[in-house]
Amino acid sequence: MAEAITDVQRGFEAALPELVAALGPEHVLTDFFHRAIRTTNASPMGLHLWEKLLPDVVVRPGSTAEVAEVVRIANRHKVPIVARGGGAGLADGATPLKRGIVVDIKRMHAVLEIDEENQTVTVQPGINMQELNKILRPLNLWYPDDPASYPVNAVGGRIGSGGWSLLGAGYGHVPDLVLSMEVVLPTGDVIRVGNGGARKIHKSSTGYRLKDLFLGHQGTLGICTEATLDLAPRPEAELPIFFATESYADSHRIIGALGRSGLRTIAGIFMFDQHKVEFLRRDDEAWIPLPSWVKSAAATILYGTRAEVEAARDVVFEIGGSLGGKYMGTEICEGDWASRHDRYHLAYHGRANGQIKLMSWSCEDAAINYSALPKVTREWHRIAADLVAKHPEHFDDWGMFTYTNGPFRAWGDYLTEIDIGVNELEMTEEIWRDWVQAKVDIARISVRAGGSVSAAHGGQREGEVDVSCYEELAEGQFDLMKSIKRMLDPNNIMNPGKYNLDEAYPGGES
Amino acid sequence: MSPQLSLKPFYTQRVEGTTIPDPIVKDCYAVFACRHKFCREVCPVYQDDRDEAHTSYGFHSSLLAVSKGMGTVGDLRESITNCLECGACELRCPNTLFAGDFYGSSTTTVDLVRKVRRDLVAEEIGFERYEEIVSYIDRFLGYFTGPEEELTRWAEGLEIPRSGESILFVDYFNAFETTDVPRKAARILQAAGADFGILARPGATLGELLDISLETFVEHARHNVAQLEAAGAKRVIMINPHDYTYFTRDYTAHLGELPFEVVYITDVLAELLEEGKLPFTGETARGLLGKVSYHDPCTLNKICGINASPRKLVASLPGVDFVDVSPVAQWSYCCGKGNASFKKLHPDKSYKIGAKRLQAAADIGAQQLVVACPHCQDQLTDVSSRAGVPVSPVHILTLVAQAMGLDA
Repeated sequence: MAEAITDVQRGFEAALPELVAALGPEHVLTDFFHRAIRTTNASPMGLHLWEKLLPDVVVRPGSTAEVAEVVRIANRHKVPIVARGGGAGLADGATPLKRGIVVDIKRMHAVLEIDEENQTVTVQPGINMQELNKILRPLNLWYPDDPASYPVNAVGGRIGSGGWSLLGAGYGHVPDLVLSMEVVLPTGDVIRVGNGGARKIHKSSTGYRLKDLFLGHQGTLGICTEATLDLAPRPEAELPIFFATESYADSHRIIGALGRSGLRTIAGIFMFDQHKVEFLRRDDEAWIPLPSWVKSAAATILYGTRAEVEAARDVVFEIGGSLGGKYMGTEICEGDWASRHDRYHLAYHGRANGQIKLMSWSCEDAAINYSALPKVTREWHRIAADLVAKHPEHFDDWGMFTYTNGPFRAWGDYLTEIDIGVNELEMTEEIWRDWVQAKVDIARISVRAGGSVSAAHGGQREGEVDVSCYEELAEGQFDLMKSIKRMLDPNNIMNPGKYNLDEAYPGGES
Repeated sequence: MSPQLSLKPFYTQRVEGTTIPDPIVKDCYAVFACRHKFCREVCPVYQDDRDEAHTSYGFHSSLLAVSKGMGTVGDLRESITNCLECGACELRCPNTLFAGDFYGSSTTTVDLVRKVRRDLVAEEIGFERYEEIVSYIDRFLGYFTGPEEELTRWAEGLEIPRSGESILFVDYFNAFETTDVPRKAARILQAAGADFGILARPGATLGELLDISLETFVEHARHNVAQLEAAGAKRVIMINPHDYTYFTRDYTAHLGELPFEVVYITDVLAELLEEGKLPFTGETARGLLGKVSYHDPCTLNKICGINASPRKLVASLPGVDFVDVSPVAQWSYCCGKGNASFKKLHPDKSYKIGAKRLQAAADIGAQQLVVACPHCQDQLTDVSSRAGVPVSPVHILTLVAQAMGLDA
């Protein structure tokens, strides 16, 4: 093992002057802070692990040609290479596990073409959705990818993680919204993948569906350098409707009925469980005054023409009211919907015991069928309760959300997440091990319930990765992943260590 | 917004070498813990260089990494210069937005950046190009020790007393570099029938001192407060919004509650307008050319939350065609000069940020961009002459004076 590290170091030392020659010294950064701030993503890591994960260098290419040259240098010298967009992922996709080169793509943020007639936009991967939508707004167009980290995600990172959108039930998720893209393969070759070979076509029967390989690969197969995205007309009306309920069961019934209502204006349905309402009662000014009978909430967001939304509103009120939901009022509906991008990122939280503790937000997500949601919710909270009981100063259960998961439909399966506060500042390796085990247990419950380890973030973090590879992807999929990885990345340079794909190479068996 | 929230007492503890005091570690972690980097996207510097090291997330996380033994504070001597001190990141931080008042935990990047710069100077490492700042400070401090009549030469012929219950505070930048601003302020107030005086020898109010020497800054703060008290001031009218932030935030933090009220000129004029004491004459104010937009100075809008009165004044100008951009949308704008040192440290970035601001005004069809800050006026005038963007910056006092038929 020590020899392998030496090989990587030797490769890096040879690669460094070539990187400087390719990009110029100002875009090849070796200072500790440049590397340190680009090691992390948005999920807790345990600060005791930080330094071990530092890359050797950060590079900031400005074009596809520069990315390709960086990748060729890395491949030639067998140096690990990890692409980084906004750094707001929740599954460590952009965190290098084996040092090497971090490719920060944020200088590449140009809008290359807006096709108003066919409603597409072609962008470089470093642009974020908020920047893009500012440009599209005067044209009455909209890129409707809306994750919680909407203002900060880079389009390239969304592609690499196969992103999920709060509005997916109405407008599709990232895999649906990307029509085609340019990808630099691990060898430095540049290809374009789409629906067939076309750039702006939504459905094709030509060839394999190779585009999907590069959506959610977590940087293990290539680096996206350009993407053509589907745009929607800006909706005339937006209406969030929240119902307070007396129980999880009531909210569960409401979201199921809304999903089956047939309303095409529904862009998303979601619910808050009892732990989530309790958490918000401690921390969120809008939720603090809620009466004590409120134990849960069910909500939907409607988009469409004014006439459609007004008609749908009446149906939603009828469904919610008939199943025990009480409308929560315009202020909380609009306010909560407006704050959906910000809520979890503050570090100061009130706890049930009255403490105010600095904690970071961990979001463990899964895709779960409607019928299995109550059981998964119960079992996840049990795991969280055990963890909090064992380490009360290090973890907190911040409750669960559930959102529609299918693209262009509001029924069937849901993204559900348990939010856990993690005290990173005082983390130890021993406590971290318990945390990792809790993540294993959470992931295992998802798979045993017939679900998928992750709907949105990726299933390759420490803890869930073994469940992903050996339990969820057990029926030949993981073996095929390894074959594909080896074929595209003969030297295992692209984000090595992720998804246990080192097993695809000699000496990498676990 | 409570001014006291932004200055944390534990910032008096030095960061140096590999030592970051524990309260500062926690303060830095509170920003790092988010890692969503909303601060990054609203930062005008990041929008230019796309380097997240030069953001609130970058500064706080770099110091946190120092505390974990990954480097030294001295390694930050270049990156720490890449801050406009505009305050946008503080406003956009979830800690400020959601828990600032709730838990007293607002993010205070501007103060942190200044503190790190000062600590680097104290450690005799300094920060990149800090000699430029030192020589600028020396030049301005020279005014303080120079002949008294020079400090008020801008007021020649206006017959303003050197005392009064209302004092128009005129700093060295206004007195020597943008003399039209205090002259117009004085003429407008006189025409509106307001009684006011000026100080015979004001002290320095250089924000650059906050990057180099807090002691000198506070020494001049004491001088100013004493002079204003001696002059009988009950109300001090500011015409430089940077001074307004120093008086309302830094002076109160270091000297306690001030013995007088501090107000900004646009608030005073909006009040006079309301009372019918600003006689705008004619159907169209002289000086207005086509569509007009308003640029929020960072200090007024992002740091002090004053954004209504300038809009009220602009909208009241006879015949004005006003196209507004909301103060929140302007969090990500800056004229490029920054709150103190930035332009002197990064003239190229400063120019590009300013040109981008002018272009944003051009994009909404504005031909004139109204400013309410002498630094924005100075910077945008400089940028517009080089950038070829067809937008003219104009100071709000110029338009008000013209609307009242006053000559300079």
